[in-house]
Amino acid sequence: MRRLIGQLGKFCLYSDTYFEGTCPHIENEEIANSPYGAFNFTYGPSAGGLFESVGIDINTFGEYIRNIKVNPNYKKREIRILDKSIEDAILYIERINAAFSASHVISFLSAIDKISESDIDSDVLNLRILQIEMERIRNNLFVIERLVESAGFQVPLYQLQYLIENVNRKIGKLFGHRYFFGVNSLRKININDPKVDFTGIEREFKTIYEDIIENRIFIDRLQGNGIIKDERSIGPAARAAGFYYDARIEDEFLPYKDFDFKISTYNSADAFGRLIVRSEEIFESLRIISQIKVKSKEYKIKVNDGEGIGRVESPSGDLAYFVKVNNGKVVNIDLLSPSSINIELFSKSMVKNIFTDFPFNWESFGIWISEVGVRFI
Amino acid sequence: MNWFLKGLKKGIKTEKFPKTNPIDIAPWSTELNGSGNVNCPTKAIDNGSWNSERCIYCRRCYPLYSPTGNIDIFKVNKKNNIFRRSFYVYPIDIGTCGGCNLELKLISSPQYDMTRFGIFFTNTPRHADALIIMGVMTEGMKEPLLNAYEAMPEPKLIIALGVCAISGGILGTGSQIEPDVIIPGCPPNPYTILKALIEAKGDKE
Ligand code: SF4
Ligand code: SF4
Repeated sequence: MRRLIGQLGKFCLYSDTYFEGTCPHIENEEIANSPYGAFNFTYGPSAGGLFESVGIDINTFGEYIRNIKVNPNYKKREIRILDKSIEDAILYIERINAAFSASHVISFLSAIDKISESDIDSDVLNLRILQIEMERIRNNLFVIERLVESAGFQVPLYQLQYLIENVNRKIGKLFGHRYFFGVNSLRKININDPKVDFTGIEREFKTIYEDIIENRIFIDRLQGNGIIKDERSIGPAARAAGFYYDARIEDEFLPYKDFDFKISTYNSADAFGRLIVRSEEIFESLRIISQIKVKSKEYKIKVNDGEGIGRVESPSGDLAYFVKVNNGKVVNIDLLSPSSINIELFSKSMVKNIFTDFPFNWESFGIWISEVGVRFI
Repeated sequence: MNWFLKGLKKGIKTEKFPKTNPIDIAPWSTELNGSGNVNCPTKAIDNGSWNSERCIYCRRCYPLYSPTGNIDIFKVNKKNNIFRRSFYVYPIDIGTCGGCNLELKLISSPQYDMTRFGIFFTNTPRHADALIIMGVMTEGMKEPLLNAYEAMPEPKLIIALGVCAISGGILGTGSQIEPDVIIPGCPPNPYTILKALIEAKGDKE
């Protein structure tokens, strides 16, 4: 089944193809006739409680949210990437969003691989899968941590932080860097210590997960909050609404089909569903990782001129790059970040909800402003 | 079982750092040592010496230069022991990739537990003793940064966290506000951050 993903530069990207032109917009439902007492309230850009700098304009009527607009441009960075070699470009790409750094670089490299027509060794592709899945585990734990923090639940908050730090240490031990910087290149995936064991994480997370989803006060804050059932959804937001959307099964460039795992879905379409999907995905990612044999690998990709699109399933959904290469240099590059789509979905899902729902719903989408506020120059 | 008992059941997870050595540090966040000429993208290696304030840990200098595991790569130019009992820090993101934000946040995790040193995050610059600046200077954050700085009461410390805020790293320019404390790294690791903050608040060795 073909689904629409979003705008990637001059293309509208679908799950199996792309067309030149503009994608239809997701319309944010605005309520006409400003009633007496409705006012605009701006939250941010630098406010306690926000993890990154972002401006959020809320049109509210007491508790009731009439409209919401997210402005990711306060911290917009200009990334000087044009005319850089592929190796140099990687240094920039990995610093677009540390939380999804492996996903960004591997999506970018997939575009390069496609135009280079190199046959990439399956061990290399598996090591790429390993990175993305570890990133997913860390990110999903972080999203859940932000949700319990919004609810003020200190005990699970610290238990989750403990686990996130543990995962970071394992990533750091395995790859030498906790956010995968300096790990990928056109010659090698840098492995520091291949003997890293992930088995304790599943047990530890399982008890926290069972505790939080049994907690009535916590789940009350999530159930019915930010309902969005939209065919334009991606990632956990789509899967929480029952859509079986996942680049891991649609894009065959990374050999996910060689692994035994299932796509987690749920059918509530709300913040609670997004929590369930992300939690279940942690177990599935651990299952994938357990099937990968880690070993150092050197290889050689000869970069051809041409243009191509790479796509991966980042922790928050489809992430794609369009790259054009000339004389070994990047001459054109566009990014479709999952956060840009999730911001639209979040804004749409927030209308008619109440003000206190806002932090829980915001966190449930796992949005990173750093990957939206980027301009390539 | 209630949350309190669930918490107790887990036992103490906090490490003895800084009394004991750090455990499990990712190598590419620590001091680099070596010799030779390298084509370093940020000129962190110039004339054979390594400058932590510019290094983005890209590993291009490896194996001529390699990490030593030493986390003491921060500089405290000014400290203030008025903050010894309680030190409230206000983080401001002026253009990060999120990495510095994530590592800073993790010093509140049980392994590090910053609160045992009297270090706390605050949600407003009005209550802050130190401003922690992260990221490259972006146009849109110039005014919010200045507003935060001016809203803070005296005495105040300015901390630049991460190579972006210090020198701009590979992505842009640093924050332009003269820092009292610099914490290099891309991102700095939580051990380095914690130790620098402990020193900045004037704790006795
Ligand atoms: S790691 Fe990279 S930035 Fe740092 S000194 Fe080596 S070459 Fe320069
Ligand atoms: S210093 Fe590195 S980790 Fe920190 S914001 Fe800059 S690029 Fe990201």
